[in-house]
Amino acid sequence: MITSEQVVARVKKLPTLSATMARLWALAKDDRASAADFEKVIRPDPALTANLLRVANSAYFGLRCRAESVRQAVTLLGLKRVCEVATSVAFAPVIPAKLPGYEVDASTFWTHSVAVAVFSEKLAKELAVGTPDMLFTAGLLHDIGKLVVGAFVADEQGEILRRVRQGTPFVQAEREVLGTDHCTLGAMVAQAWSLPPAVAWVARWHHQPADVPPDVDGKLVGLVHAADALAHAMGFGTDSGELAREIDGAVEQKLGVKVRRLEAVAGSTLDAIREMGSLFASASGGKR
Amino acid sequence: MPNITVDISDLQVSTDPDSTIITYALGSCIAVLVYDPVRVAGGMIHYMLPLSETAPDKAKVRPAMFADTGIPLLFQSMYAMGCEKRNMVVKVTGGGALYDDKGLFSIGKRNYTVLRKMFWKAGVIIKAEDVGGAKSRTARLHVGTGRCTVTSHGEEVEL
Repeated sequence: MITSEQVVARVKKLPTLSATMARLWALAKDDRASAADFEKVIRPDPALTANLLRVANSAYFGLRCRAESVRQAVTLLGLKRVCEVATSVAFAPVIPAKLPGYEVDASTFWTHSVAVAVFSEKLAKELAVGTPDMLFTAGLLHDIGKLVVGAFVADEQGEILRRVRQGTPFVQAEREVLGTDHCTLGAMVAQAWSLPPAVAWVARWHHQPADVPPDVDGKLVGLVHAADALAHAMGFGTDSGELAREIDGAVEQKLGVKVRRLEAVAGSTLDAIREMGSLFASASGGKR
Repeated sequence: MPNITVDISDLQVSTDPDSTIITYALGSCIAVLVYDPVRVAGGMIHYMLPLSETAPDKAKVRPAMFADTGIPLLFQSMYAMGCEKRNMVVKVTGGGALYDDKGLFSIGKRNYTVLRKMFWKAGVIIKAEDVGGAKSRTARLHVGTGRCTVTSHGEEVEL
């Protein structure tokens, strides 16, 4: 079992998202902020600037023409969207080369994160339910709790896996063995990093969309729940629990999720996920 | 011993007896492993979805994404190397499922149903299979011997 002191100590040790990000998110909330303001914040960080342009120019973001500068990217994509791109770029170097306990390398974890972000947005479009604010970022960061819990899972992995083999869903096995799970810890990380509330909601509830409190955007959580399951089903998974996860049937009534619609989403997004997945090496600073 | 990796929505064939054809992270996707002991050749597809009608444009550029366009292509690729249908040994793995009471994510089951229908129509017999369940799998086919293995949850079994 993990004590709360151990968790807090581990969260403190975690590398944080670039300090630039907090300033960018503040700008994104400010209606008066301009592309020039944004550029001023991001320019001192050349790696972030270069990688932001690389990701912004990937086919998924569908720019009409190539953005050669941050200012151009903001003009073409909008400030909020560029903040989402910047978050994904800032997230890559934070992922450890190997997540202990989950038997997952950084590039696989990144690809899973990207797959969930992309599937979440595509699902929202396919199901015509509207795209909640921050959907891409919340999808991307839904598993941040694993960055913390991985350090504890390493010792207990055998026991978690034994329970999963016997039919226990992975998150439940985490709770039984560790006394907590990556969702609870994810919400703590989101808070420690001062991420927007949507990220904390999704990190906390993406395995239990039926239990969200009334002040949480249930549609946002439901979309990421379905997208996460789809990512695992399609082989873009991360953890040793793999497919051992429960689906909340309510996503059918609330969002209209149906198998054929999931297939349409999966079929249309494979190339985008691969392309963004392959950008990991540069986004992480080529360290891995 | 060269490894030939089959990506998602991809197929590979080989006549190199020292090679191993391998695919990772089969969730709901299915791998069909084909081996001809006379020609000493192997092939594998890792398809993602059952029917190309889901995205006909994708099927044109990535036929191995779908069972109905990819599996015939796998067999044609084997024939092109001199393999014969009567000699070919066919094995199947993948098609995993989530804990999903309502079957909202029954992509694995649909992937398997379409494959069974196609094989029934074409008179192809499945020699061995390891499908379904809440597990992700890695499949290997050793081209020199036809030995097939499936790894999941850290355990390897013969197929």
